[in-house]
Amino acid sequence: MRIQPRQQLLEVWRAVARTCYPGDSWQWGGRDQRNSISDAEQILCLMGPATQITTFKVDLPDETAEDVLDAVAALGDSVEIPQLLIQVLTQYFQAYTDESGAPVFSGGSYFSAGAQEPTPEQLTLNVVDSYSVSIRLALASIGFVRVFRNVVRRDALRRAVEELESLASQRLTAAMLGLLRSFAVNTFDVSSEYGQNLCRMVNQRQLTMRQVVDDLQRELREIKAGLRDLTVGIGQVTDLDNENKLFECGWSWGIIAGAPRIEVGAQQVPQPDGVAEPLPYLYFTVVALDCIQDLFSDRTRILGLLDDEQQTLARALQIRWDLTQSYWSRIARFGRGTWPLESMPWRTTDGFESDYLTLLIASIMINDLASRRASTSDLQRVAELLRELGARARITRRPLPRDPAVSLHQPGFELVLEGSEALGGQRLTWYLADFAPQLLKQTLRVAGLLRDIPTRGRTIALADQIWEGHLLRRRMAGGPAAQLWDQPSQIYEDLKPGGDQPSWYYTERVVSCLVAAADLVAGPPLPSPVLADLAGDLLAEADHLFDQELLSVSAEAGPSMGTALQTVRATLRRAHETRSELPGTAAVLAMDVLRDLRRLASARLDASGTA
Amino acid sequence: MLVFATSDKGGTGRSVTSSNVVYRRALSGKDVSYVDFDFGSPTAGAIFQIDSITHGTAAGGLHSYLRGEIPEPRMLDVWSESDREVLRSQPPGAGRMVILPGDAAGGEFSVSPEMVRRCVDLFLRLEAEFDLSLVDLSAGRSYATDMALAATAEPALRGLTTRWLVFHRWTRQHILAAAALVFGERGIIDAGTARGHDSDRLRRAIRFVRTAVVDPNSEELAGLRPAQVAWLRDCNYDLRRLASQLGIGRTAMLGSVPLDPVLQWREQLISDDDVALTEVANSSTVEAFKLLAKRLDDDLAWEGL
Repeated sequence: MRIQPRQQLLEVWRAVARTCYPGDSWQWGGRDQRNSISDAEQILCLMGPATQITTFKVDLPDETAEDVLDAVAALGDSVEIPQLLIQVLTQYFQAYTDESGAPVFSGGSYFSAGAQEPTPEQLTLNVVDSYSVSIRLALASIGFVRVFRNVVRRDALRRAVEELESLASQRLTAAMLGLLRSFAVNTFDVSSEYGQNLCRMVNQRQLTMRQVVDDLQRELREIKAGLRDLTVGIGQVTDLDNENKLFECGWSWGIIAGAPRIEVGAQQVPQPDGVAEPLPYLYFTVVALDCIQDLFSDRTRILGLLDDEQQTLARALQIRWDLTQSYWSRIARFGRGTWPLESMPWRTTDGFESDYLTLLIASIMINDLASRRASTSDLQRVAELLRELGARARITRRPLPRDPAVSLHQPGFELVLEGSEALGGQRLTWYLADFAPQLLKQTLRVAGLLRDIPTRGRTIALADQIWEGHLLRRRMAGGPAAQLWDQPSQIYEDLKPGGDQPSWYYTERVVSCLVAAADLVAGPPLPSPVLADLAGDLLAEADHLFDQELLSVSAEAGPSMGTALQTVRATLRRAHETRSELPGTAAVLAMDVLRDLRRLASARLDASGTA
Repeated sequence: MLVFATSDKGGTGRSVTSSNVVYRRALSGKDVSYVDFDFGSPTAGAIFQIDSITHGTAAGGLHSYLRGEIPEPRMLDVWSESDREVLRSQPPGAGRMVILPGDAAGGEFSVSPEMVRRCVDLFLRLEAEFDLSLVDLSAGRSYATDMALAATAEPALRGLTTRWLVFHRWTRQHILAAAALVFGERGIIDAGTARGHDSDRLRRAIRFVRTAVVDPNSEELAGLRPAQVAWLRDCNYDLRRLASQLGIGRTAMLGSVPLDPVLQWREQLISDDDVALTEVANSSTVEAFKLLAKRLDDDLAWEGL
C-alpha cells in the first residue's frame, strides 16, 4: 500500500497543532466558521487517531511515542498535551450548552438557504450530523479521561477531569435521545410516486409491478415486524400491515415533527420539539449508523463508557441500526442477477439521482456484509462497484470540460431539508462534499474484508489511486493551513479556489480514512495457499536433508560444524512456526536451510573426488 | 532553593551531571553552591578540577563541621581556585560558584540530633547566600540522605523550596533500583515520612534524571546494523513501559542526559569550548544540562499531573 497512515497522520497532526495552537490559546473555526459540528470535527482530527490507534495514544504521558510528541510539539510536552486536550474538550462541551444547561446540536453555519440567509431560528435547528459527531467525540473523551485520570494526582486537575467526563456524558445522553427521535419510517402507497420510484429502482429484471411488490413484501416481512414493535421516541407507525403500502426507514435530518419525548430515568434532559418531516435521508442514515456502531464497539464495552441509562438508549438504537442496515442492504441487493445498486446512479423514492447516493447505499451494504461474513463474490462485486464510482466521479479519471461530476466535489451533493421552513425562512439545504474520502474509506474497508489475494491487491491499488491521485492533490499546498484540506481547485480547473482556512469538515474525514488505513495495515497479510503448499514441500525436503546430515556427521564434528547445524536447526524451527501465518517467509527460511545443507554436501562430494 | 541529588547506585553520573547543572546555573548569572555530602568518596574537587581537594579537603571539610569540630565548613570559590584554564576566571555576567568539599578522611557516620541541628544551620546559611545550593548525596540509602531528610523536616526549613533529583542510568537494573530507592521499603519516601515529611508533598518534590541515555534514533548510532536498531528500539520501548509502571516514567522525569564520550572517559565540566572549539563534547549534552538547569526552578515542570 502506498498510503502510509502513520507518516501521513503525523504530518496532519503537525499541521493541526500549528494551525489550532499558534500561540497560547486554541483557535476555533476555519473555513466554515464555528458550529457544533465543525468544532467537533476539528478536535476529532486529534482525538480520533489518539483513541483509535495504539501508537497515537496520548492518555498516558509516560508512554506517548517520541515521534508523536515531536509532531505535536507545538501543543506542549507529553504532560501538557493531555491537559490541553482536557481544556479544549471542556471548552467545546461548554460552548454548545445553552443557558439552561442543555446540550445544543445546531447545524449553524453548515446550513444554507439558497440565495437567502437562513433565519436565526433556523440556524439553531438540531441536526443528525451533530448528534453523530457528538457521540463520537463524547465516547473518545470519556475513554481518554478514563485512562488519563489514573495518573492524575493534583486536585485541581482531578476536578477538571471529572467535570469533562460529566459534560461529555451529558452530551452523549442528549445526542442519543436526539438520534432516537430522528428515526423515521415512511410508508407510502404502491401507486404513489414514492412507490413507483422504489419499484422501478429495485426491478432490474423487467418483472410486472405486482410481482415486484409481492417480492418486496416477502423480503421485508421481518423488518416490518421489527419496525412495528418500535415504541421509544417514535410516533405510531401506521399502515405497515397494509399489503398495498411500501415503506422505507432510516434517519431524517433532525428530530421528527411531533416525535414523542422519551422517558429517561433520574436525569432530566430537555427534549426540544422537532420540525423534520418523517422522511429517511440516506446521508443522515449512514451518519447515524456509523456512530451507533461506535456505541457497541469493543472499546466502548471494554472501557465501560456507557452508564446504565445510556446502555438502555444504546439498545434501542441498536434495534434501529439492525433494521435499517438490513432494510437497505436487502433493497440494494434485491432480486436475482444485477443488483439494483449496480444500476447507477441510485434514485431515491423522492426522485433524486446521484452517484453519491449509490456510494451511501454501498457503504450501508458494506457494513452489512462485514457483519455477515459475506461471500467473496459479493465483496468482489462491491469492489468493482467502488472502482466504477471512482471513475464516474472523476477521481480516477480526468473530467470532461464542464463535467457535471465535478460538482460532486464542490459544492457537493445538495440535500433539501424538508420541514426546515416550519420556523419561517426558506427551506434549508445541506451540502455533502465528502465523496472522495467516503469512497476511500469504503474501499479500505472492502479491502480489509476481502479474502482473495488478487482482488484485495487491486482494491488496495484503487485506494492508493484515490489517495495519491486525488486526496493528496487536494491538500492545501501553502498558506496558514498547509498540509490540511481542502482545495479541490488544485485538481479541477473549472473550480474557483476556496479560502486559505482549513476545512475541518474535510480534514476530519481524511483523518478517519487514514485511521481506517492504519487498521488495514495492522492486520496480518492474507496467507496464500500456493505459498503454503510451496513452503510445506520445501520444508519437507529441508527436514529430510537435515536429518540425513545428522545421520552422517556430526556430534563429534567440531565447533564450527556444530554451530552451522545449530543455525540450521533454529532456522528450520522458525520456518515451521511461521508457516501457517506467513508461508512466504517460511519458504524463504526453508530455502536458506537448503542452501546451507547443499554447501556442506558439495564440500563433501569435492573431498571424495566425485564432484 | 535546595536541591538534593541522589542516585540508585554508584556510577550513574550523579556528581558529574549535577556539577554541570550547577555550572550552567552559574553561567546564567545565579549564585550557586555545590555541597559535597558524598561522605564515602568526595570527588567534587576532581570534577571542578581543583587539585588541592581532588579527594576531599585535608582540613575543614563538611564532616568536621557536622561533627562539630569546626564552626564553619570550608568554602572554595571555583572561579579562583580551579586549575582548569576555562574555569579560572569568572565569565562576565556569571554568578558566584562555590564548592563545599568533604573531608579527605571522611567516611560514613550515623546521624545524631546535634548533627541535624548543624545541618539545618548550614542549609539556612546556604539559602541566605545562594540562589541554588545543590547537595550531592551519596548513592543508595545512606546516612547523608537520612540526615538531609531529617534536616528538611525541621520546622526551620519547612518554608524553603527543597527538591530532590534521583539520577539513574537507562537500564533495567537501574530503573528497578531507582524506583526501589524512592518508593521501596526504607526508601526516600518511607524514610522521609518517618522523619516527619508529608509523603504526598515529598513525592511531588522528587524528579528523576536519566543519565548516559542511548537514544535509538540518534545519529550517533548510524553505524549500527538495522537489526540492531530494531532490537534497540524494542528494548527502549520495554524500558519505557517498565519505568512507567514503576512510577518513574516521563511524567516523573525532569530531564535526560545523553551518553557523551567526555562524560564517560573524563568526568568533568563541559564548557562551551569543548563543544564549539574542540568539538570533543556533543552539543546535545550541553543542551540537556541547560534544560535541566532551567527546569530546576521552573514550577510548571514540577507541577506534574
